[in-house]
Amino acid sequence: MSSIPESTGTKTAIEIKGGKKRTQTQIKVQNRFIFFSLTPIMIVFIVFSAIPIVWGLVLSFYQYNPLQEHSPFIGLRNYMDLLKDDVFIKSFWNTFKFVIIAVPANIAITLMIAIGVNRIRNNMFRNLFRTIYFLPCIAPLAGSAVVWSTMFNKDTGLFNVLLNFLHMPGVDWLTDPSLAMYSVIAMTLWADMGFNIVLFMAGLDSIPKMFYEAAELDGANPWKRFWNITVPLLSRTTLFVTIMTCLAYFQMFPQFQILTNGEPQNETRVLALNIYDHAFTYMNMGYASAIASVLFVIILIITIIQLKLGKSQWEY
Amino acid sequence: MKNLKVIWVVFLMLLLTLSACSNSESTSGSSDGKVNLTWWSHDGPTFVKANKKFIKDYEAANPNVKINLQIYPYDAFVQKLKAAYASKNPPDMAQVFGSWVPEYTKNDLLSPVPDEMKDWVKSGFYEPALGAYTHDEVPYGIPQEYNIENGGVLANPDMFKNAGLDYPKTWDELITDAQKLTVTQNGKIQVKGFDFVNYDNITFTFLSLILQQKGEYWTKDNQVNFSTPEAVKAMDELKKFVTDYKVTNLRDFGGKLDTSDLFFKNKAAMVIRGPWSIAEGKENYQFEKLDYIPMPSFTENPPYFAAESGWGEIVAKSSKHQEEAWKFIKYMTEKENAKYFNITTFTVPANKEAAQDPEFLKALPKMKASIDVLPYGMFIGIIDTDFLKKTINDNFQLIAADKVSVEDGLKKIETTINQMLNK
Repeated sequence: MSSIPESTGTKTAIEIKGGKKRTQTQIKVQNRFIFFSLTPIMIVFIVFSAIPIVWGLVLSFYQYNPLQEHSPFIGLRNYMDLLKDDVFIKSFWNTFKFVIIAVPANIAITLMIAIGVNRIRNNMFRNLFRTIYFLPCIAPLAGSAVVWSTMFNKDTGLFNVLLNFLHMPGVDWLTDPSLAMYSVIAMTLWADMGFNIVLFMAGLDSIPKMFYEAAELDGANPWKRFWNITVPLLSRTTLFVTIMTCLAYFQMFPQFQILTNGEPQNETRVLALNIYDHAFTYMNMGYASAIASVLFVIILIITIIQLKLGKSQWEY
Repeated sequence: MKNLKVIWVVFLMLLLTLSACSNSESTSGSSDGKVNLTWWSHDGPTFVKANKKFIKDYEAANPNVKINLQIYPYDAFVQKLKAAYASKNPPDMAQVFGSWVPEYTKNDLLSPVPDEMKDWVKSGFYEPALGAYTHDEVPYGIPQEYNIENGGVLANPDMFKNAGLDYPKTWDELITDAQKLTVTQNGKIQVKGFDFVNYDNITFTFLSLILQQKGEYWTKDNQVNFSTPEAVKAMDELKKFVTDYKVTNLRDFGGKLDTSDLFFKNKAAMVIRGPWSIAEGKENYQFEKLDYIPMPSFTENPPYFAAESGWGEIVAKSSKHQEEAWKFIKYMTEKENAKYFNITTFTVPANKEAAQDPEFLKALPKMKASIDVLPYGMFIGIIDTDFLKKTINDNFQLIAADKVSVEDGLKKIETTINQMLNK
């Protein structure tokens, strides 16, 4: 009998030793797996995101032109010049105007549509509507902009043809300085709604039905249910959608270039378009990098603020 | 770990192979005893046609030379060329637009015209066409085109006939005719009497009005001066076309249609535009019932104007076959070939002999107004013309919309451009 515990004791020690070895090997295998799975994405991130951001920030302190052998270091001069550049200042405010109008409009419209589509009981119709609303997202933004530019045509475009049909005068959608920005916003909203509708629908699906049932039993009307249940319980999705839409809209470029190219009177010139023109039309890469750095800082600050404000402490 | 090492070795070898590929000689060589020249050009069909003919004829006469023409879409071409020069791997020759060239000459990237050709180039080609190709009085390229936006006006003969008008001979007649030809409905202009409000012609018309008053816009220290009485008068006159004469407006600026498109769609009776627009109208609208009439001078002086340098040929300083490249360029820019190029591409000759040859006007009679004013042209100056036009256009719109005064707008143009020139 006495040998049994001894032998058991020896076996246990071996097992422990073997177990330790196995654990170490397992850790090694796991580390190797982590290394191999993360390396490609890290390389992609470093090469295509981190290095260009740092490189862009560095370039903004130089008078850089790729054709020049030596680019002089000019310190903050590019940034000082920005303050005196009317076109930059105009594009700065235009970008904010676009984001301030287009982001809330996008959130409000997509949320309403998502709620509407979510209420359809028939799965086939629900999916059909979801697909229809998502369709514009499949087309490249540049392609959609080309199509919309024909619809905005003041002589033969769809919108003015409809107005004329209703005996109303045509409108200069893209060449009237007071209207052009709103025309671009309308096009952007149409082209960009699909993603947010899908995200909001997923968010709505994840809200437990019991809250609505309880509210209904308590006699809450649809508005109260929306305001007191849907809005707060959808806040995480709303925060995500708002941040992503803001990020995208601050960087919007193709529709501005194709529909108006910043005209009339620079009313639709946004920062991204300004960066492009300075970098590739005027070959002033240092100055373009300074504008890009300003845009980067704006986006960073706004994202941090949104994350702080939108922190939610609940779960269900 | 062994596997890991193997993977890294393979990865490094792959990188090495790729870098070896990118460093390989891709421009020129002479492996088969022939001199291989690479020539880049944009894909305009008429340009390609003329270039291919030159290559065919030249190779037949010079069997030791092989020219490889590579064509690119216009927008991609500009960027591709910059990238090629920036990466020190440019083509031997390139057919470029003049306003691109100063960036390359300034950075010592181009081969100068050989000494034995310099006098021929300086005396045989118009100064405005040669301007952007010249750096420190040394030509670094040979122009094929005298790029001209002034001198001629697209005129609709039917509209003149219906209004019982003759073509204008003086500035006052131009305004009177334009007013009579303008059709307005419900306060909106339906047919513009005279239009210049497009990306190029606001600037070129403005500069020409300054020059026609014998004014200047360059200072001795290479700054622009738009505070002169001549500049104020010129800008004030342009503004009046919108605000006082009411023969045009800003409605189409920045839109999809150029002023020449408006003309071909019968929405403008007279449009100041370069003669290239005649060919565009024929190709895009099958519109041939037009006249290209001389633009009257703003003053008693001849119709002076400023022009930027047009299409022409450059050779890379890093090319191993600069001598052969220049020989080919000389061949295609001499009188007969230059004339063929300009007739085929519907461009104004930069070569004086070709422009003055009666055969040229016989082939392209509508070019007469342009050819007649060539001696009055002067080079616009070494400046980023895209930036110049953008700045003038931005401020002209504000001036014409009465958002800023003529003087303030001109001061803004001057400050912005000088700020750019000082960079």
